[in-house]
Amino acid sequence: MDEQLKEIIERARGQAGEIANRGGFEAFKASFVGPQGSFTALRKQLGTIPKEQRPEYGKRINEAKDQLEAVFAEVNERLEGMELAALIGPAVDPTLPSPDRPVGTVHPLTQILERIVGIFEKVGFTVASGPEVETEFFCFDALNTPPEHPARDLQDTYYMPDSTRFSNVSKHGEERYLLRTHTSSVQIRTMLKEKPPLRILSPGRTFRRDTADATHSANFHQIEGLYVDKGVKVTDLKAMLDHFARELLGKDAKVRFRPHFFPYTEPSFEVDFSAEHLGKVGKKWIEIMGCGMVDPAVFEAVGIDPEVYTGYAFGMGIERIAMIAYGVDDIRYFYQNDQRFLNQFA
Amino acid sequence: MLISLDWIKNYLPELRKSAEEIEEALTLIGFEVEGIERRGLVPLQHVVVGEVLEKAQHPNADRLSLCKVNVGTGTPAQIVCGARNFKVGDRVPVALPGAELPGGFVIKKTKLRDVDSEGMMCSARELGMGEDHSGLLILEQRPEIGTPVNEVFPEADTVFDVEVTPNRPDCLSHVGMARELAAFFGLERVSPVMRTAEASLSVSEGEALVDAVEIADAANCKYYSAYSIRGVKIAESPDWLKQRLETIGLRPINNVVDVTNFVLHEMGQPLHAFDAGKIRGRRIIVRAAREGEKITTLDEKARVLQPQHCVIADAERAMVIAGVMGSVDAEVDNSTTDVVLEAAWFHAPSIRKTSRGLILSTDSSYRFERGIDPTGVDVAARRAVDLILELAGGTLCKRVFHEGSCAIEPTVINVSPDFIRERCGFGPDDAGVKRCLEALELEVSETGSGRWQAKVPAFRQDLTRPIDLVEEFLRIHGTVKIPECAVENRAMLRSHAREYTFRREVTAYFRSRGFSEVYNYTLVSADSLKRPGDAEDPHPSLRLQNPISADGTHLRPSLIPGMVEVLRNNRSDGDASGCYFEWGRVYAEVGGQLVECIGLGFAVLDQSDRKSWLARQGVDFFTVKGMVADVLSLAGVTLPDAQYRLLNGCVYGQNGHFAVGGDLRKSPCRVELGMLDLKYTQRADINGRVYAASIAILPQILEKAPKAVRYAPFSHFPPSYKDLALVADAATSAAEVQRSLADAAKAVSGVDIQVERVRLFDVYQGKGLEDNQKSLAFSLTFRAQNETLTDARVNQAFETIQQTIEKRTPFRVRR
Repeated sequence: MDEQLKEIIERARGQAGEIANRGGFEAFKASFVGPQGSFTALRKQLGTIPKEQRPEYGKRINEAKDQLEAVFAEVNERLEGMELAALIGPAVDPTLPSPDRPVGTVHPLTQILERIVGIFEKVGFTVASGPEVETEFFCFDALNTPPEHPARDLQDTYYMPDSTRFSNVSKHGEERYLLRTHTSSVQIRTMLKEKPPLRILSPGRTFRRDTADATHSANFHQIEGLYVDKGVKVTDLKAMLDHFARELLGKDAKVRFRPHFFPYTEPSFEVDFSAEHLGKVGKKWIEIMGCGMVDPAVFEAVGIDPEVYTGYAFGMGIERIAMIAYGVDDIRYFYQNDQRFLNQFA
Repeated sequence: MLISLDWIKNYLPELRKSAEEIEEALTLIGFEVEGIERRGLVPLQHVVVGEVLEKAQHPNADRLSLCKVNVGTGTPAQIVCGARNFKVGDRVPVALPGAELPGGFVIKKTKLRDVDSEGMMCSARELGMGEDHSGLLILEQRPEIGTPVNEVFPEADTVFDVEVTPNRPDCLSHVGMARELAAFFGLERVSPVMRTAEASLSVSEGEALVDAVEIADAANCKYYSAYSIRGVKIAESPDWLKQRLETIGLRPINNVVDVTNFVLHEMGQPLHAFDAGKIRGRRIIVRAAREGEKITTLDEKARVLQPQHCVIADAERAMVIAGVMGSVDAEVDNSTTDVVLEAAWFHAPSIRKTSRGLILSTDSSYRFERGIDPTGVDVAARRAVDLILELAGGTLCKRVFHEGSCAIEPTVINVSPDFIRERCGFGPDDAGVKRCLEALELEVSETGSGRWQAKVPAFRQDLTRPIDLVEEFLRIHGTVKIPECAVENRAMLRSHAREYTFRREVTAYFRSRGFSEVYNYTLVSADSLKRPGDAEDPHPSLRLQNPISADGTHLRPSLIPGMVEVLRNNRSDGDASGCYFEWGRVYAEVGGQLVECIGLGFAVLDQSDRKSWLARQGVDFFTVKGMVADVLSLAGVTLPDAQYRLLNGCVYGQNGHFAVGGDLRKSPCRVELGMLDLKYTQRADINGRVYAASIAILPQILEKAPKAVRYAPFSHFPPSYKDLALVADAATSAAEVQRSLADAAKAVSGVDIQVERVRLFDVYQGKGLEDNQKSLAFSLTFRAQNETLTDARVNQAFETIQQTIEKRTPFRVRR
């Protein structure tokens, strides 16, 4: 009896190391504790043992059972380890490169736009939007640009044929559709829709009928700002652009106002910036933008009382700012989309 | 516009500022200086014209030559020279010993590498005439040997190239610019002295070179005057006059014509001189041109006129395109003895239209179309008469024709110094404000209680409103004096346009997926929209009225061709990501009208065959479709699967692999997506498959308030799953099968059981099915709100669904 139990345990221990998978494990267990198993057979003999020897025999059987189960547990643990290892796979070489695409790039014009919006956001400006196909009223008439103004010529502005109709670009009267030459049209649409006080930015694509070269592009981008409130003064405009210059170019940036002429502002200025690190452009002052106090005629065109409200407006070319900020010397690079160019702004 | 400093000093005798100071002044009062050029020669002693007689190698220096130069003294001078651009026989400026060149360089007899040198042959820069130092200044016109060089070149002058904004026609002259500088520097301004007294002239008595002047086109000509000068002698102009004109880039013609040009640039009033002998019928008529009337202008171009053009005609023919250019038929030439001088005021828009229509812009038309000073017309005429009499002789006939009127009401602006200070946010006391306005020749009078009346001089027709005086004050007071102020920061007043925040989200989405943002042009060529060889324009309604080149004739309907262009441009870059996206407007025709849409495009070049140490899965149609759904969801738009259909025959889409989703007539967006036509991409030299999409979203959909969210209670009990496969005709869309199944599932849902989800997980064609059949397998999720479902309840519902399908749809349950 003892001999047989001993032999079973030893056999179990002997075979345990050879078991490589769950199927083998089940067969292995069955060969001992299954219905036909050798250990089951010994247990069944318990009934044939004389009554007085039974406790002792039972005790031996139980000891052997514990030992078998210990063997099974050991095998089980070993198999679980193998299974986990198979799931985990071999150790990686953490120095290998990822085969996946790295994060993408945001176009430099978008980045500059975001930077400019960010600077004005801080002082309460938010973005307004409007269509790129505009009408003469929103692009010119409402901006105090007389009908014979050269900017309205077929030579300088793209027009759609007279028969064109847009279902989602509203007209004021029977004026023609054109491709907007500036984003000031958004200011007009916003002033017609919303009531002052207003503090908006209008970034977006604009078109002039120019032949493309290093500084002219078939289309370009502008961002304009408009502030309308009671008691807005020239000093407010200057303070805002001083803030902008310092945020954009650093604390040493300076701003110069040169009187100029725009139909939609009075007084009007062109604005030059100067800053230490702009020196390499070769000039002390660099023209950055145009600005001025909103002309009373513009307020009248949109139904805002110029006796009550005053305001300022400013506008700049996004490409121009990007060229200055990044030192890009040809505007066409922004539209060639060369990956080596785009990656530089990642 | 070119402005000569020397000329301007005629009217500002006290002007003692340097060119740099004047440049800064002009800039700060609103006249951008686009260039400064120093012309002519400062007075130089001992610099003469010499001729190179001999040129030999310097015995001790490779780079120097040893020359003998005739400087007109009888004995040739021996000069060592380092320049190489000259040859024997050339005439050059020679600085002789004793000369002091600009910059203080004094010439002495000297030895250069042990050889005597008796002077220096000069470059343009050494004479202070520009920057050219590439070699000697060769005097091609071969002036006399020994002539002092100052006799060869005009006197020194500084010429400013000034940008004059369109609102300031009064500054398109030397007197005009002098007024501005006088105001800024606070200088006395001197006007040209008039010798021809107005009183000596008559409008009705005495003789004249013509019998009648008539304005038959009063709409285009407000005033016309004609002066007759008899017995002039046409000759070359004196040097001072020729030099004035040459300095500002004009070619002298003869004394009479030069005077008219001089007065134009002095006072800004264009004038015209006729040879009286060429005026037929002794009549001058200002009239509309006849349809098809021909004229050969002074630039020797034959031009055909239209009735909208105004001409100055005699009894027979047009002699001048009014205010623009004269004809060769009536010009003053060497045989002219009698001259009729025209001084007129033409309607600005008419001249502008004529000039643009004929593509003919002249100094005259430029000034008329911006608006001349009507009160200056007669003044300029008398100035020109003075100069003609002085330079060409002759006598002025007593009778002068004045037709029409150039009288204008003076503008008076009521303004207060407080208003000016309020709009500026700062400012000096009343006297300081007044000083600025008076410097600009406004007459300011006080009308009590802090109010002023400002009478505007006639040449400033741009000043009409109080706000205009704010700018004038600032210009003269100085924008540099605007004080530093703090930005008044107020609370946020409104939200960003949703379009802008949507764009930010989209950009972040694509960037995080490894896409590079690109910018393409909105205007595209007709060729990019059609197949090579196709004649027809597929998008005639998107065509511009006035494209500038064939590259950009149409508004773009899709962003896909641009994406292909980007892939093409980066095709040779093995490291390029092959993944690009663009944000920009696209245009579509819907029901006969155009719509402007927010456009979003992206493209992925399938690079699954690219060498990599670790294989990754490639892209396919459904990669793109998934991304489209992501982007649309950022816009709050859902495009149901059933709204997609294959789009065959698209220029750039691969048949069977390219689809369209949505319809702008009914849905807020339209999407084209899928594999691009392989031949199309191959024509762009792209290897491999390209998957791309172009999404058009109506901007107005973004302004819709987002749907309000209401929480719905959800079950806390476990779900139960059942799978089933439906056999359908192979041509049936998955969406149709799905919908039938979803309908059937919905029918069994009730209080005690719900079908939460019907998910397609397998598509099968092949063994076990007929050739024209396919099997779609779905997984159904059952759940009850308030209890754990029993198998019996689930089976019952599942059985009902299957029976509904079999009874009500053409599909068969595969058991």
